[in-house]
Amino acid sequence: MSSILKLENLKVRFATHRGQLEAVRSVDLDIRAGTSIGIVGESGSGKTVMSRAAMGLLTGSNVTREGRITFDGKILSDMSRDEVRNEFGTGMAMIFQDPMTALNPVRRIGSQLQESLRVRLGMNRKEAKARSIELLTLVRIPEPARMLRKFPSQLSGGMRQRIMIAIAISCNPKLLFADEPTTALDVTVQAQILELLTDLRQKLNMTMVLVTHDLGVVAGNTDYVAVMYAGEIVEQAPTAELFANMKMPYTEALFKSIPNIQMKAGSRLPVIEGRLPDPTDRPPGCGFAARCSYAQDKCFSDHPELEAAKDGHLYRCWFPLGDSIQRKVS
Amino acid sequence: MRKLWSTFNLPTKISVFWVSLVFFFVLTGSFLPLPNPTEYDPDASGVGLFSAGHLLGTDINGYDLLSNVINGARISILIALVSVGIGGLIGSAIGIGSAYVRGKVDLAVNLFFNILLSIPNLVLGLALVAILATSVDPAIPIDPNRRVFIIIFSLTVVIIPILGRIARGATLSWVNREFIVAARSMGMKDRHIIFKHIVPNVLPAIYAVIFLAIGVVIVAEGALSLLGVGIIDGVSWGAMIGRVAGDFTYAPQSMYVPVIVLALTVIAFNQIGDHLRTQLDSREGKI
Repeated sequence: MSSILKLENLKVRFATHRGQLEAVRSVDLDIRAGTSIGIVGESGSGKTVMSRAAMGLLTGSNVTREGRITFDGKILSDMSRDEVRNEFGTGMAMIFQDPMTALNPVRRIGSQLQESLRVRLGMNRKEAKARSIELLTLVRIPEPARMLRKFPSQLSGGMRQRIMIAIAISCNPKLLFADEPTTALDVTVQAQILELLTDLRQKLNMTMVLVTHDLGVVAGNTDYVAVMYAGEIVEQAPTAELFANMKMPYTEALFKSIPNIQMKAGSRLPVIEGRLPDPTDRPPGCGFAARCSYAQDKCFSDHPELEAAKDGHLYRCWFPLGDSIQRKVS
Repeated sequence: MRKLWSTFNLPTKISVFWVSLVFFFVLTGSFLPLPNPTEYDPDASGVGLFSAGHLLGTDINGYDLLSNVINGARISILIALVSVGIGGLIGSAIGIGSAYVRGKVDLAVNLFFNILLSIPNLVLGLALVAILATSVDPAIPIDPNRRVFIIIFSLTVVIIPILGRIARGATLSWVNREFIVAARSMGMKDRHIIFKHIVPNVLPAIYAVIFLAIGVVIVAEGALSLLGVGIIDGVSWGAMIGRVAGDFTYAPQSMYVPVIVLALTVIAFNQIGDHLRTQLDSREGKI
């Protein structure tokens, strides 16, 4: 399989009044065409910034992006803004976290859906209308023709997210970023939306990048998983391999903090104590060391590099789980 | 539109009625069977309200007040609409543009607006008119049409920062919304995003302020004319008030009529503007 999106040494920094905030530091990621990859991490781990930077959506004057981004054989990071814009919609598209704010409140669904069809694909009014009804049917919206006349405020969150998906897939993108597509939705709707995304991905032969903080979401819907922490990928593996054989204590801690039906009523929810290191002042060692229950002296002084294990499993840890090295448990 | 009308309360309805009435007279004034505003009636100088042939009476020289007020409405409203229209367009364009591009341009624009806003409206208008409408040779008077043009220009300059700042503020509150990023992520060009995504959201704020700005301009033009630097030949409302100021004791109606008409018009515009603002604000709250 060929690579559709390749990030090499991607770095994103924001200039803040407290100094340079390093939101993403050196991410390497190779996404193969036709697969689906999950980017997992807690809030502030840099997953959203990474996906937006990869697409080239961070344009503020305080943003610095370094590294090489290759999309579908073209080097995106060397292209001008206009050239990158040509890839948007038709090459890659994004679904946003909050469907409440990602639709323009004063325009009808139809006009927002037809906008990209008319501007990007050059359809006329009639074609765009026919196609938009088709798209709404594809995202399983009942009575699509009536939906075109509605305003976003008349719809529920799940419906709006379906509209967002319809807009994102309207120009047949090869790569679809889904940035926490279900976080703002009810649990029951979450499952429907995820199922819809997986189904559409196969039908339309898209590559999908699913950004989420929920390992459970990743489990059933992706082929690969990359776990991010403090602006870095700390573990990456095929999904089944990752769940069977976690190497990085952070991944394990994330996994353990998923509430479980067998937990006794009234028992405390497992949490990862502490918080992310200050992104304007990163510690010299492993970013997770201060919160890691297996941390050794070396973890605080030396920054671990990504190591490769078998089956394409990468991890960033001095003392990976499942190794025979003696650990003192603190 | 019908929905908007149903939200009107009584004062707003009266205001809409009054403004419509003013516009009606502005449009039809010259066709109505009224005494010529520039011809005096020697048999009826300084007659009171509801006199025969002079519904609102006449001033001390026998000029019919009703026809003068209607004639004055034409020039006062013309000046207000044109300067608010042009100033609103320029101000909104500058405000929306600078808020969209941000950075140094925005900083400079904001500074420019703040400097203009720090000068009281009337002082700014007065200064501009005084500079522009002074002929080198005092013996040659400025052409009245040119004077109207200068007043419109000066009031436009007064309006630009008022609407510009509103447009800039509204744009700033929309430009970082997710749907703008979403539009960009579908490959929409900046011009398309500004016109299709930002302008429709910013317009309600501008509509509301436009009505308030019309009130400001009517008052400013009246004040300029009253001070003798505006319309000097007595056709606008302010100029009428200025002309009859000395006759108050002999023919008080010649003073109240234009004053009341001017005040009612300004109040009506303000009321409509205020109503629109609360209406559109609450609608944004619902989103």
